[in-house]
Amino acid sequence: MKKSWHISRRRMLKGLGATIALPFLEAMVPPGMGMSAYASQKSPIRTAFMFMPNGVHPDRWTPGQWGSEFELSPILQPLKNVKQDVLILNELMNHFSIFEGADGHYAKTANFLTCLPIHKTTGENLNSGGISIDQLIAQHVGNQTLFPSLEYGLDRITSGIDVNVGFTRLYGSSISWKSPNQPNTKEIDPQLAFNRLFRNYVPKPGGIINQENPWKESVLDLVREDASSLQKQLGRSDQDKLEEYLESIRSIEKRIGNEEQRKDFERHLTPDIRKEIMRLNQRIDEYSEMNLGVDITEKVHQMMDIMALALWSDATRVTTFMFGNSVSNRNFSFLPGVDGSHHQLSHHQSNERNLDQYARINTWHIEQYAYFLEKLKSIKEGDKTLLDNSMVMLGSGLRDGDRHSPRNLPIVLAGKGGGALKTGKNLKFAEETPLANLYLTMLKVMDIPAECFADSTQELCDLV
Amino acid sequence: MRYFSKLLTLWFILLFVLPAMAQEKTLDFSTQIRPVLDKHCFSCHNVGDVAGGINLEKYESEGSLVEDGEVWLKVVKQVQSGQMPPDSEPSPTAEEHDIIVKGINSILVKSLSDNNPGRVVIRRLSHTEYSYTMLDLVGVDFNANNFFPADGSGGGGFDNFSQTLFVTPLKLERYYEAAEQILQQAYQNPGLWKNLVPFRYEQQWWEQAGNWTLGIFSEDFTPFNDPALAAQNIIYPFASKAFRRFLKNGEKQSLLRLFKKVYTSLNDKPNPERFNLSLLETFKAVLISTNFLYRLEEESAYEGSYQLSDFELATRLSYFLWSSMPDEELFATAYRGDLQDPRVLNRQVIRMLNDPKARRFVKSFATQWMGIAKLNEESPVDPERFPEFTTSLRQAMFQQSVEFFNYALLERKNFLDLLDSDYTFLNEELANYYGIDGVTGSNFRKVELADRTRGGVLGMGSVLAATSLPLRTSPVLRGKWVLEEILGTPPPPPPPDAGVLPAEADTENLSLRDLLVVHRSKPGCMSCHSKMDPIGLGLENFDAIGRWRKSYGQDTIDASGVMSSGETFDGPNELKRILLEKKETFARNLSEKMFTYAIGRSVQFVDEPTLQKLQKNLLDNNFNTEKFIIELVNSYAFRYKVNDYSKKLNES
Repeated sequence: MKKSWHISRRRMLKGLGATIALPFLEAMVPPGMGMSAYASQKSPIRTAFMFMPNGVHPDRWTPGQWGSEFELSPILQPLKNVKQDVLILNELMNHFSIFEGADGHYAKTANFLTCLPIHKTTGENLNSGGISIDQLIAQHVGNQTLFPSLEYGLDRITSGIDVNVGFTRLYGSSISWKSPNQPNTKEIDPQLAFNRLFRNYVPKPGGIINQENPWKESVLDLVREDASSLQKQLGRSDQDKLEEYLESIRSIEKRIGNEEQRKDFERHLTPDIRKEIMRLNQRIDEYSEMNLGVDITEKVHQMMDIMALALWSDATRVTTFMFGNSVSNRNFSFLPGVDGSHHQLSHHQSNERNLDQYARINTWHIEQYAYFLEKLKSIKEGDKTLLDNSMVMLGSGLRDGDRHSPRNLPIVLAGKGGGALKTGKNLKFAEETPLANLYLTMLKVMDIPAECFADSTQELCDLV
Repeated sequence: MRYFSKLLTLWFILLFVLPAMAQEKTLDFSTQIRPVLDKHCFSCHNVGDVAGGINLEKYESEGSLVEDGEVWLKVVKQVQSGQMPPDSEPSPTAEEHDIIVKGINSILVKSLSDNNPGRVVIRRLSHTEYSYTMLDLVGVDFNANNFFPADGSGGGGFDNFSQTLFVTPLKLERYYEAAEQILQQAYQNPGLWKNLVPFRYEQQWWEQAGNWTLGIFSEDFTPFNDPALAAQNIIYPFASKAFRRFLKNGEKQSLLRLFKKVYTSLNDKPNPERFNLSLLETFKAVLISTNFLYRLEEESAYEGSYQLSDFELATRLSYFLWSSMPDEELFATAYRGDLQDPRVLNRQVIRMLNDPKARRFVKSFATQWMGIAKLNEESPVDPERFPEFTTSLRQAMFQQSVEFFNYALLERKNFLDLLDSDYTFLNEELANYYGIDGVTGSNFRKVELADRTRGGVLGMGSVLAATSLPLRTSPVLRGKWVLEEILGTPPPPPPPDAGVLPAEADTENLSLRDLLVVHRSKPGCMSCHSKMDPIGLGLENFDAIGRWRKSYGQDTIDASGVMSSGETFDGPNELKRILLEKKETFARNLSEKMFTYAIGRSVQFVDEPTLQKLQKNLLDNNFNTEKFIIELVNSYAFRYKVNDYSKKLNES
């Protein structure tokens, strides 16, 4: 290992998260163009990171032939309508998923977006190694939208600890880390998720629009002041715990207090967006009344619609989505030909019947991903589409569920990142290329200056 | 055997090292010992480059060292034996060697003899605690678990573990909305609102006001027609109960200021609506305050460990045994200031355990410990494979466990009933399912068992289903469950390539037992699976949804086995008898579990003396629950606090 790399990793682990931090400098604006002209000229770049648990069928994932003349593999078939918009990235590896005491799942999930080793614990001193890439991006672009970032998923945090491997299951339920010690909360209910963003824009019967409670600010003000005076009297760990509360208050206050930003957001709600808000509201309402079975496809579609709407309306530019917590044993018997559950089938033991069902489950995940991509593609932004202005990453923290290997991860990146990415290719990198190289590339595409991210060595070639 | 090796190490220190140390002057960690470590250890064991998984650089104070005492015991051993530093590195001088070995040893020994209560981080209310507290404070039954995003679990697997209880913007928004909904519900319900605001403002309210008691926080009540004065007699007691302590002057003022602000601008509303709505906003601030949402314990100027305040102790006690805030009597006891008196404390514990609210503790502790807490909400098995496993049956199984735990722990007062019992709790549906006659109706009742097959937790459908795979039983999971949850001796994780059975084996036609034999034939799997599998196979007469069976189709089930410790058994009843003989291991595990639940942090090195006392208490009193809980509540860790060793934010 080279010494220079060693030092930068050490420095970074000491708390920087990543060696970035330069704000967006005017010096970076192309010559002859004012800052505001530059900023307003192009649509913002949106990013989404999607996690699927339990890996994939190792032999039915990788497309045949490298480069742009590739053929979609069986699992990736659902991407046929967006084939020209995706990049299949092979041989990426999340190196720090392997360390002494690491297990098969948790150590490969909590660090999916941090690319650093997590701290082995059943609860004390939780640590994901570093800030996650989505949160790093949110630090840079989050102040321009109502919500710095939005986190979604389908399942509650898995409760309990896994004594067998010595990790709290919380690790397997969190990919987005605001700081190494603080996982973000993911929203799993379409109704609540929708309400949080758009409730105020749905006219009630009689035409009344919901208004924010006029006292909310005063109430928040009071509790914030009390909390900060209290904080001084506590011990350090307690102070840190209370800081979570204070940060949360500040972020809510900032949002409801920022009249200008809210107006700005509302100005961007075009008739098309408002129509979509109404449509989605109705769809969710009808669904809530239905009796739910095990088939969650409709729920996933709604969550995807909410995410698409959030990105389209510019409520946020950064989102994450978890199809399931790691070791998810979701019952997939709603799929034809499947009669078992996810984690169990992922331990296929090379049995053909299991493998076949495993692949069907993988394919279902790609169908949902494709649904989201096609949705983004159907939305026009100037002469481009929302998908053109996005980067949507999908992947798993391990390849073959039976082997738990973090090598040659199944990773897809979709969208052109505002035009910077040359999509429609199946790319093979050198073996064990750090996954963090992808994140570094994404930072570059977003004009976020960064020397490196986690263990990245360089940007991925052939993407831009 | 984790527990025995720990004991041996301790005996070693206490017998051989302690006397030697007694003459040594204690060295200061950060100024005298750490520089030597820096010179000889940190170049490899540092923050960025964690050699062998051991990072020594992160320990900056004695407090942090003591917390991970077991790591440092290893350090001492390695240095003492000359294994560290390795030959490739310069050796420490004799003096440096002594500084490391003796210096660290004496710190560790001191920490054990010091009555160190260990560092606790403030706890946010768990969602369950939030629900019960709202019920006791406002009277509204609110399902917080469905409304708030879920929390993770830590320590012993409990949801009240301080370091896994987070607040994020999303959660805080939900707290605000929850407070709004709860208070609206109370406002709409005249009975509930009357408890909070016992009079109609601008009426002859002072006549009624005389009759209500403000509780222990009341101040002398002087009727006045000033709304703010009337309001403060309502706001202060409410906030005081919600914060579980006296209010500070600044808090009173800011709450009243909010009330006035709202009241002034609602001038278009008539009273009492105007008055009530202003109170409602003020209550909202109380219910999303850190003082309500967290169980705060302030630091003292005192160095070393110190007693919790009476209100803090009352709060620990009530959240431990009731999952909620203290009641009037407990508050009154704290107010009198004698809760730290062991006789008073013990009387309160006994009273609290006899209160119906103790069932909350039993349900929360036992169902999370046994890993069946989720059973009430979702099925562990596939509904198409097991259509018989209906929602009603599943919930009956959960209820059976809860009723059983309540009876065993609160009435029979004996933990050993969990391992085996000659009774259980059943209703008609479950009795039919288990094939037991003579139970009618949907209510649960105690049923004497002629045959002990269904006695204890291992005969319960809840545990048996929760330890199965969606389509079949898993002897491995059940064996692991017994080792982990009952005996507290979990097997190490499987090697990275586990799960791949030999390809040539025709696994399709093998029985489960044969399949596991193949499994164990791999050298990497054998050592652990020979511990887990026999226990699980001993429970194979229970199918994946807890039904009794004698055979798999044509093949008779062989439920005999040999424990890795040598005992032989045939079937669940004999297996349970063997577990009953492992009293010491069970007592240690139970002590660790309950300690973690009560204190809200993991067991640390400094807790060893307490845990040994707890274990002894169980063994001496035949696992009496009441005596055990009294011992726990009287422990240093429960009643005392020590300041955090890290620098404060405002100090650095």
